[in-house]
Amino acid sequence: MGEVVVTGFGVRTAFGRGADAVRRGVFGGVHAFAPTTRFDTAPYRTRFAATTGGDKPDALRDVLGECADDAVGMAGFTAGEDTAVLVGTAGDFAALTRFRRGEAGVEVADTVPSRLADLLAARLGATGRRLAFTNACVASATAIIHACGLIASGRLESAVCAGAYLVEEENFAKFDSGRALSRGGVIRPFSADRDGLLLGDGAAAVVLESATAARRRGARPLAGVVGWGAASDAHHIARPHPEGAGLAAAVGRALRRAGDPDGLRVDYVNAHGTATKHNDPAETRGLREVFGTRADRVPVSSTKSTTGHLLEAAGVVELVIALLALSDGVLPPTANLTGPDPDCDLDVVPNRSREADVRRVLSINAAFGGANTALLLERP
Amino acid sequence: MTTASSAEPLPGFIESTFSPLVNAVAHRCLVEHPGDGTRTAVVLGSVVGDATTTDLASTLMVGGQVGNPLLFMQATPNAVLGYLSKEFGITGPLVALSATADLGFELLDAAAVLLDDPELDRVLVVGVELAANDRATAALRELDVPPPTEDYAVALLVDRDSPAAEPGGQDLRQLAALAAQNKGSTP
Repeated sequence: MGEVVVTGFGVRTAFGRGADAVRRGVFGGVHAFAPTTRFDTAPYRTRFAATTGGDKPDALRDVLGECADDAVGMAGFTAGEDTAVLVGTAGDFAALTRFRRGEAGVEVADTVPSRLADLLAARLGATGRRLAFTNACVASATAIIHACGLIASGRLESAVCAGAYLVEEENFAKFDSGRALSRGGVIRPFSADRDGLLLGDGAAAVVLESATAARRRGARPLAGVVGWGAASDAHHIARPHPEGAGLAAAVGRALRRAGDPDGLRVDYVNAHGTATKHNDPAETRGLREVFGTRADRVPVSSTKSTTGHLLEAAGVVELVIALLALSDGVLPPTANLTGPDPDCDLDVVPNRSREADVRRVLSINAAFGGANTALLLERP
Repeated sequence: MTTASSAEPLPGFIESTFSPLVNAVAHRCLVEHPGDGTRTAVVLGSVVGDATTTDLASTLMVGGQVGNPLLFMQATPNAVLGYLSKEFGITGPLVALSATADLGFELLDAAAVLLDDPELDRVLVVGVELAANDRATAALRELDVPPPTEDYAVALLVDRDSPAAEPGGQDLRQLAALAAQNKGSTP
């Protein structure tokens, strides 16, 4: 199997566009939650989300395009017929709302997930395959895993993988109806007093290439993707397995692929860390299963504490954050941590970033239905 | 391989036929051909997805009505995939995707990529489309894709001995026909 490398990225969060905005907010341990102005929040239990502001979200097609432009620009990469465009998205829900309200001029086709991959491919001039991955909070991580499989097997030489979610009322209302949103105005992953998640704006794109192709064109890899894995809980349609079984299995697959089955070389984990009652202890137990007695010494943080939950974009944005940890030698903190929870007793890098010489970082995600993913990056 | 255009209701899922259809075809496949769930993955494909659930939730929200938590639960394809994974002890990857063109090919190709993993032996491939509602019809017409006029689902099990996916022009009905022609290698 061939090696897969990352040669460029673009990212946008509630802190703004680009890596420096992520450094300022996520690595600064500053959260971006505020009352949202995008819709009337009176019917809901909370007013808060992490957004870039404004009366309505930008079109997902534009945000995906900006991130992909930044990614290919950084990589010095030109997409072609051998480039796949794989996007984690459930479609543009703001367009759905406008359609249901009977507004004129709605880009209703953008509510079809694959349409956003088609548009991004056209923008990039990529004439290869285009797919959207729709499996919720692991969607963009699954897109990256699929790209790694395509590239490592020699089916393709390159892929642009992206994901986007911008806070809008459709999903806000759904999460509110499921009583999943925090009422406290911030989220507190791994804290004893955590009470749920809040949504956030997020989008990112990465350029993945075979190491051979990157070398051939003189590109400098930012990181190698040395392991990837996915696994399911076989437990419940909404709740995670209480022992984090599927998460541990996904990480196990990634680590075996990377030739480090016990995770001895993992220096940092970007956790899923949603701050829900069930997720955080399950994730803790899953990581303890993976790392054994070393679990206390592996730093683990939830950057959703600053960005909010980015839904379909979570996987690719958090991979970019992990990449920055690798390149900058700084671990992003779990912000808003108050009282420790004995069921979440990992080193969660509380409240302040930490310098560290990291060579391998793991980014993990989980979703409804018990779907779990793991991506392992290595410094070149 | 199995197909369905109607299905019994599925406990915990309401209003939409999307998840019951997926469950019906997948259930039949997996019951007829039991295997090791720890070495099984699932790939689910649909161009539009569960428009019935999505649009019902949207209509409630736009109308200022209280959302139904069950619609929240079933709003993503992960829900029925999670249901199936529990039912059959499937602990391999769960993938859900959408492609505007050649969805059948993309599903088979995704299965082939998954089977590169030596820890997997078989992949349950499921394709599903619902009869297009007003929003799906408008969207698909913009994309120059004929809107489906009836609910339809197909499932097939792909294993290492199955033929490789041939590129080009496979929609879900062609996928079903392909599977029917290769009964020896697609259980």
